Amino acid sequence: MSDTIIQIENLSKLYRLGTIGSGTFKRDLNNWLQGIFRKNSDSRAPVPDTKENVFAGKDHLWALRNVSFDIKEGEVCGIIGRNGAGKSTLLKVLSKITRPTEGFVRGRGKISSLLEIGTGFHADLSGRENIFISGSMLGMKKAEIRKKFDEIVDFSGIEQFLDTPVKRYSSGMYVRLAFGVAAHLEPDILIVDEVLAVGDAEFQKKCMGKMKDVSHQKGRTILFVSHNLQAVNNLCTKAIWLQKGSIHAMGETQMVVNKYLGAFQKKLWNREWKSPQEAPGNEWVRILSVELIPHLPNPMAPIDIRTAITVKFRFYNFNNEINLSANLVLFSLAGDCIFDVPSVSGDFNEGMIEGECTIPGKFLNDGSYYFSLYILKDTSRTIFEYEECLHFDVEDHRENIHWYDKWVGAVRPHFPFALSSYDVSKNGISLLNTRHHL
Amino acid sequence: MAEQKARLEWEINKKTSWLGTSLKELYQYKDLLFRLVRKEFLSSYQQTLLGPFWVLLQPILTVLTSLLIFHKIIGVSTEGIPPLLYYLAGITLWNLFSDIFLGTSVTFTQNVLVFNKVYFPRIIVPLSVVLLSGLRFLIQLLLFFAALTYYYLAGEVVVPLQTFLLAIPVILTTAGIALGAGLVFSIFTAKYRDFLGLLQIILRLLLFVCPIFYPMSIVPDKLKWIMNLNPLSAQFEVFRFAMLGKGQFTADQVLYSSVFMVVLLAGGMLLFNKTADRLVDVI
Repeated sequence: MSDTIIQIENLSKLYRLGTIGSGTFKRDLNNWLQGIFRKNSDSRAPVPDTKENVFAGKDHLWALRNVSFDIKEGEVCGIIGRNGAGKSTLLKVLSKITRPTEGFVRGRGKISSLLEIGTGFHADLSGRENIFISGSMLGMKKAEIRKKFDEIVDFSGIEQFLDTPVKRYSSGMYVRLAFGVAAHLEPDILIVDEVLAVGDAEFQKKCMGKMKDVSHQKGRTILFVSHNLQAVNNLCTKAIWLQKGSIHAMGETQMVVNKYLGAFQKKLWNREWKSPQEAPGNEWVRILSVELIPHLPNPMAPIDIRTAITVKFRFYNFNNEINLSANLVLFSLAGDCIFDVPSVSGDFNEGMIEGECTIPGKFLNDGSYYFSLYILKDTSRTIFEYEECLHFDVEDHRENIHWYDKWVGAVRPHFPFALSSYDVSKNGISLLNTRHHL
Repeated sequence: MAEQKARLEWEINKKTSWLGTSLKELYQYKDLLFRLVRKEFLSSYQQTLLGPFWVLLQPILTVLTSLLIFHKIIGVSTEGIPPLLYYLAGITLWNLFSDIFLGTSVTFTQNVLVFNKVYFPRIIVPLSVVLLSGLRFLIQLLLFFAALTYYYLAGEVVVPLQTFLLAIPVILTTAGIALGAGLVFSIFTAKYRDFLGLLQIILRLLLFVCPIFYPMSIVPDKLKWIMNLNPLSAQFEVFRFAMLGKGQFTADQVLYSSVFMVVLLAGGMLLFNKTADRLVDVI
């Protein structure tokens, strides 16, 4: 079971940036001519190959840089990282779609990659035809597809629409059919890009179940890219954190995920200005510091939906006898206002003012948020707006909930909620018990 | 370590091979090849009233147009053969060439989305175009034979049964030239879209430099070199000779065509294999 199935060594991938036009044509021609006249085969290479050219310059980008790791048979490996960290490039190299610039991948067994679902689907053709098309594109033999056909149809629940062109399918049906084909692949190594992000909740659950099934019962090796850390945590035995094309951390899933969350959260939790000239402000007030303090049992742990958060800020007030108050406004990363909390107002003289506000735990939903701070005069006129002063992410936490989809709602408050059970008989109704939240 | 290496079966690195994928791998993807042919065939007739009849309608309309222009208006000689039959023979072969050439030269540009998301030997796509075009060609050939039978029964032509087999090398050579040229062009169009425009012009010019609507025999001696330079010219003459018993060609011309085909096809294949895996970054 613990044999190496994929071995990746010094994998690098360089991309040329910019548009292709007369400029690139000239360069191609130039390289080509040089190659002919100088008999120097290196000059024809579109990218510098030597190790010295680590800094590729502004028109090239190392999407992957010296990535090395091994995957053992039966491992489920999650790959996490910000956008542009090289996750998809890594998967593309592994699935033979693009060649690495340097390094190599060795492995054994059949690889199937699922970088997108419904690859090769033809909108005008029926579901039946498309099952065969998509299946054979993913590397299945005709006989294999035949054998699994009923299972696929069952899984996607489109029996009634088998002979309808897929362009008339609802997007949900389309996705179900597409994933249905992919889910019945039987490779030794399965490579999955962020495909679970589509489809409705019910279906996502089904997909997760299927993936778990594939990895646990059939002992397949899976490489899995996702932004859904909950899913990574749930599925993966090992995680790799890519950053700017290199491996930043690798190892046991929970450890890597925590490190990943920690690094990004710390970034904008604390802002302080050394000199008032640099600090944001105007003739009325000048911000001195803003700080976000999560109430965490362990400083390495991420903020999750249970965590209470305190925001502390200090600013300097330049005016005497002025009525000031502050508003702390929370936005989701998408820019929707979650809440707007006003402070008490009061009359102040020139000097430093400190504010503090605590948001209780078990209140926010998981997601990315930012605070903006507004300073008001006479509780009506905004004299200073400090937009996006603190950024933070709230991680999910679920206990005894078998639901892996995104929890909906702007907030996720923990209101008292009871369920009671009654015995209904001829004699009347009698209360058996009541269940509360703990 | 050495032992472990031995157990790993494959390797992905930056080297691409001129020979491309092994025949063994290609064979593993044969189901995909036929599936792609089926997909293209079916999808081109979805939501049409006439469906597969379009395969026949296209040459029929072209023949009628050329009848009007080249026979009625300009009055080009057809060497005593009924003009409809004469044009149909040329157009059928031309369609094979242009279908394969056009189809394969957009291999990358038309399949960007697929090539970016899933791996299979890229040569499968042009091969599927060849098969599909071959299928269309066979259907159109049936139309030709139907017309031939009609004129034969009407007593207007003699059917040269003994030369029919000559058509087979002609078909293979024409398809080979089309595929070779298509593969080379597919690489160019992948990187520079200018070649897509160029493609249309080349095809249109080539159509008139091939003896499709006129016989080689009426070309003035001063201009013969243009016809001789075109490797397709001889093919049309041989094809008509095989099918209708009339054609003017020399052994040199046929040899030139064949060598041209072999060189172009081999070159196109090698170039395609060598570059296909790198092109995905620039499409």
